[in-house]
Amino acid sequence: MEQIVKRFPGVLAADHVDFEVQKGEVHSLLGENGAGKTTLMNILYGIHTPDSGKIYINGKSVSIRSPKDAIGLRIGMVHQNFKLVESHTVCENILLGLRNLPVVLKLKNAEKAIEELSKRYDLPVDPRAKIWQLSMGERQRVEILKILYRGADILILDEPTSVLTPLESKNLFGFLRKMTVEGKCVVFITHKLEEVMGVSDRVTVLRGGRVVGTVATTATTKSDLAAMMVGRRILFTYERREIAAASPVLEVRDLHVLNDKGLPALKGVSFAVHAGEIFGVAGVAGNGQKELSESITGLRDISSGQIIIEGKDTTGESVRDTIEHNIAYIPEDRIKTGAPQNLTIAENLVLRSYRYPPFSKGLLLQKDEIGRNAEKLISDFNIVTTSKDTLTRTLSGGNLQKLILARELSGKPKLIVALYPTRGLDVGATEYVRGLLLKQREMGAGIVLISEDLDEIVSVSDRIAVLYDGQVMGIVPAEAANIEEIGLMMGGALKKS
Amino acid sequence: MSDELALPSLRFERRLVPSRKLNTAVSIFSVVIGLGSTIPIFLLAGVDPLAAFQQVFGVFTTTQGVTESVTRAIPLILTAVGLCLPFKMGFWNIGAEGQLFMGAFATTLIVLMFPAAPSIVIFPLMIVAAFLSGGIWGMIPAFLKSKLEVNEVLTTLMMNFVAILWVDFLVYGPWRDPQGHGFPLTPMFPEQARLPMIPGTKVHSGLLIAIASAALIYFLISFTRWGYEIKVLGESLDAARYAGIHSLILTLVVMFLSGGFSGLAGMTLVSGIVLRLRHGISPGYGYSAIIIAWLGRLNPIGAFVAALLFGGLLVSGDALQIGLGLAFSTVQVFQGLILLFVVGADVLTHYKIRVRLR
Repeated sequence: MEQIVKRFPGVLAADHVDFEVQKGEVHSLLGENGAGKTTLMNILYGIHTPDSGKIYINGKSVSIRSPKDAIGLRIGMVHQNFKLVESHTVCENILLGLRNLPVVLKLKNAEKAIEELSKRYDLPVDPRAKIWQLSMGERQRVEILKILYRGADILILDEPTSVLTPLESKNLFGFLRKMTVEGKCVVFITHKLEEVMGVSDRVTVLRGGRVVGTVATTATTKSDLAAMMVGRRILFTYERREIAAASPVLEVRDLHVLNDKGLPALKGVSFAVHAGEIFGVAGVAGNGQKELSESITGLRDISSGQIIIEGKDTTGESVRDTIEHNIAYIPEDRIKTGAPQNLTIAENLVLRSYRYPPFSKGLLLQKDEIGRNAEKLISDFNIVTTSKDTLTRTLSGGNLQKLILARELSGKPKLIVALYPTRGLDVGATEYVRGLLLKQREMGAGIVLISEDLDEIVSVSDRIAVLYDGQVMGIVPAEAANIEEIGLMMGGALKKS
Repeated sequence: MSDELALPSLRFERRLVPSRKLNTAVSIFSVVIGLGSTIPIFLLAGVDPLAAFQQVFGVFTTTQGVTESVTRAIPLILTAVGLCLPFKMGFWNIGAEGQLFMGAFATTLIVLMFPAAPSIVIFPLMIVAAFLSGGIWGMIPAFLKSKLEVNEVLTTLMMNFVAILWVDFLVYGPWRDPQGHGFPLTPMFPEQARLPMIPGTKVHSGLLIAIASAALIYFLISFTRWGYEIKVLGESLDAARYAGIHSLILTLVVMFLSGGFSGLAGMTLVSGIVLRLRHGISPGYGYSAIIIAWLGRLNPIGAFVAALLFGGLLVSGDALQIGLGLAFSTVQVFQGLILLFVVGADVLTHYKIRVRLR
């Protein structure tokens, strides 16, 4: 792939990228969220077409306009989110999308072929099983078999280990080795340094849509790679007034939590957040961030461990309890969780306080009070709208986040949990949000700021924790933060106790 | 000649704020167009369309027509206003019919148990029993949905058949009137267990129950924090959880009320009109109520009005059959066309249609 450029509205996802894979190698693509790894591979697989640049397969220039073209060129991709029909069998899923199939399927023959294939590559799976009965690891094997059945020489795996248990990952790596022996090549997208070093021959590091470099794994170290991944950044810190050390607002002790799929998402997380402190949680998304924020705010059940608010054990309390303890939560999903779209702005501004006076008296809603509250917050937080009775879905992204912040921060919270609060916002709105959080810090709130934007974490936090694979890899004061060290922790290659 | 067809292209644009004036205009317009569309049907059936329209007009202008329409509307009002609650919450209760049958069953049970009780005792008992049994019938799918994620469309729909067949079992079996010449019905209710007429009219007092129910639900939805919770849960389960709303309890309560009001509809049927329990007590009021609730935009007042018009439409059908000797199937086509236009026109109130010539 030569000089690939791809622009999405507002971002340059691939900026003159050169990338090559050789026969018989496992080539890792390493980078943070949004570095452009998946975009690049989606271009190779024909899901996106590049704005400019050329692609060569076996030395021949090709044009790939759709996955169909890619499959024709013997390229196969396993996406991060599997694309399988749950109610169909393994065999049916593998045949799905194939052309030149007879009208009456000879499933028996296909099943046999799949069985042979799965034996040959040591990918055990029953062709007659229905997808919904399978574990995530088995589903991944089905996706890989699908590619092999179609005959692929280039395999692209997008973050394949994110859904696997450690044992399944080990088996996958064994399989990848086998592929390279056969002369096939594998592109392995990941952000985990351990895996890069363990499985791949060479690695290409992407940052901000650009190639930082391509190196052989034998000629590099984890810390070099981490430095390449996070880069040497020009950090500008915000003006922060020193605040006298205070007692902890929040203590988390040995927290264990499961994710939606029932797999461990947090594996013994402990930390404390003090009043007047911004506690930044860095890490690549999907390493337990969502589960952490949900357990503190009462939205998720805890398997074991303790959550202590101002010295009181509040483990297992409901969302309503956390609201009553004055814990603000800025959720990740603004549209479906933070501010439901068909409520009016006034209604949304009392989403978490409607049941308390002055907004309710007994069972009766006090519409006058709700209206007055809305008018005040709209002007205090500069929410741009025609009226308080406008539907929330008319608001722009930045204004939507302002609405959520107005509601969550207006009640003088003692603890604020903010999950990706600036994601998708433009520069102006981002600055505004960070400014508000800093103001809350000065007013004495403890703030847990979870973000995948390392610059943001480093510039506004007092202390920084790095979350990797459900564990805290280390907690460092922001002034003493070594960005390469943080990079290593984000990749799971360094753990400080 | 150009071989390119100059077909206009239609584009739908969502209106941000549907206006009330427009709603009224569109409703009237759609009824007129709907009536117009039935002209060929009448002509095909060999009936003068003007005579047919006269029959229909008569239903809405004569005392007798209005009386009958209102009477027909009573169970429709009760079921439809009850459905406004779960529908607003995004819970698709298709089970009003079954909940109505359970209410009719419970009412009859009370009458059979206390045949000699005076009105002042038996009416409160009937109301409570009908509401309770319809409500509990409605809570079962709510529980299954909240706890086990069982699709409520299936459970509410299937439980209709259970309830209908349960009533059939009773009227064909243990409750059959020995003096009923073998017909599947219970003995007539005693005089004191029949809903009296509203003084000065020929409409039974179930209408008062219907009006009170509509008013109560309107109040709940518009003025209590409970209505607010229903709205939030209807928007998204995640948002409801975030707001600290206990979705299981809310769903159970809402379905208890929804089923309860359908149960009351069953009570008004057996003790206001049929005066006994029999096979096929409702010709599908619980299903029609689904359309009515939506026509009323899930607003109990709107549903109330829509139910009255629907009652009129049903009586118009009877009038066409009796007055002009039209076949029942022709009448159904007539009713279907009117409904189709009214429901279809709803799009116009929410979307602007832009016509562009290519």
